[in-house]
Amino acid sequence: MNQAEVSKLVSKLRIPVPPRHRNLRCPKGPEGRIDKLRKTVTGLIKFERIELNYNRADEARQYAERLISEAIRNGDCHKPTMDTADFWLLEKELIHKLFKVLVPRYENTNLSFTRLYQAPKPQVARRLEKVVLELRGNPYPDLLNRNTNNKLLIQNVLLEAAKNDYRQSKVSEIAKNIGKGQNTPKVKSSTADPEIESPKNS
Amino acid sequence: MRRQILCFSTQITQNNCFKTSPLIRFLSTQEAIDRRYHLFTLEKKRQAEKIGRIEKIEVQYKGIPNDCTLVMNKGISTPYDCARHLSEWHVDTSALALLDGTVYWDMHRPLEENCTLELQNFTVPEPQQVNRAFWRTCSYMLGACAAVAFKDTVPVKLHSFPGPDIRSGSFIYDVDLPTLGDWSPSHQELVTLGAEYVKLIQKNEPLERLEVSEELALEMFVDNEHKTKQIPSIARNNGKVTLYKVGKHVDISKGPMISHTGQIGRVSVVSVHKLNGSTNSDLKQLYRFQGVALPTGVIINHFAFSILTERAKKLNTAKSPISKVTEPEESESIAMKA
Repeated sequence: MNQAEVSKLVSKLRIPVPPRHRNLRCPKGPEGRIDKLRKTVTGLIKFERIELNYNRADEARQYAERLISEAIRNGDCHKPTMDTADFWLLEKELIHKLFKVLVPRYENTNLSFTRLYQAPKPQVARRLEKVVLELRGNPYPDLLNRNTNNKLLIQNVLLEAAKNDYRQSKVSEIAKNIGKGQNTPKVKSSTADPEIESPKNS
Repeated sequence: MRRQILCFSTQITQNNCFKTSPLIRFLSTQEAIDRRYHLFTLEKKRQAEKIGRIEKIEVQYKGIPNDCTLVMNKGISTPYDCARHLSEWHVDTSALALLDGTVYWDMHRPLEENCTLELQNFTVPEPQQVNRAFWRTCSYMLGACAAVAFKDTVPVKLHSFPGPDIRSGSFIYDVDLPTLGDWSPSHQELVTLGAEYVKLIQKNEPLERLEVSEELALEMFVDNEHKTKQIPSIARNNGKVTLYKVGKHVDISKGPMISHTGQIGRVSVVSVHKLNGSTNSDLKQLYRFQGVALPTGVIINHFAFSILTERAKKLNTAKSPISKVTEPEESESIAMKA
């Protein structure tokens, strides 16, 4: 009952976070693992797109997300946040980049700050799973070639034609109804006329 | 039948004139397909032997990964071979070749002179011609599918297919089924047709192109009176008829077509409609097979695809080759456009 609400202490990340950290193989033990991750996070903030093994990328991604998230929450006048940034970024000019470039970039987004893609595997080699880790909004060309908005692609041509067809059918339906609306009084009048005429005949 | 084939093969290899001997016989559909396939391979072999001394041409390749010059064999090497020099990705995805920036060339058609080469897949910025080739190939394959799907007791005579019109929503093939007077396919039968189509696709066969003389074409399609009527008008210009082969199926088409059948992805044969001709013509009715397909790698929501299939079920309004107004010549011109 007396527990503090965790969500207010720590911001929720927009990536899947496993319950337990991942051990990375390193002769120096846990410190070596942290060193590795610091190098990777520094590289990610510096180059904005890096290719590496899946384990290390996925682990470093969580730290990078946390770092950016804290920077957005607390700003650059908050001592503990500044210390965290100082610890994780080995090249100190990147601290400026974090607060001056990345915080404005991600302030109003509701997506994760990083993206993880699977990299193509070599056909004959040790099958280590390679991935590409990148910051969103980086200046490089998109990795996925998704020019699906091209109107001339066959699926778009087909869907466009289907849409036009549907609209035409609707319009013709409406036109028919209008015709009916005009027809009905005519029918009434035509039925009315004989009534008028019938007394004359009789 | 085998003896007749041998007789013809000797005639072809000796390059004699092809006198149509009195071949009034009743081949089953499968036998006719086999015979056509045999003649096609022999003619292809003959044309390959006719080349003689091999000359070299320079092909300037433009595109991914970088521009380069390939030295290829004149009259033998195809754009497909050029793609094989580049990468597996080029081989799999290239559907059509663009020579000198203007001429659209089949992937399996030998190059004849120095040229620049661009390989086109389905995602190029201006894919109209690739799409047309795709739609044409789909129609062609629908004919191949219809030819093998029926039992031996049901003779299938392919008539023709009109030029590709993607905006109509479906590709079509008009087939004459003389023994099936009044047939409307059940859902199960349509699914079976679609399954046959998928089987053909999964074989991943290349679409081979061959130009043959009018006499040979007439000989190949001797069992099909509709095609034999169309051939003279098709060959009127230069005396040649362009044939395409996929697997064992050979059919007439103007081309160009895509590289191999594996490039057809999601497909369904959606409906078969009956076309009625005029009462006085010799051809009373045709069946119009309709389908809809997308290239490999195009991922589309199942709901969107259901919209496409629902639309494709309606009778395609492309001109019927046997409608009351049209004369036989016009039906041939429809076949010419295909």
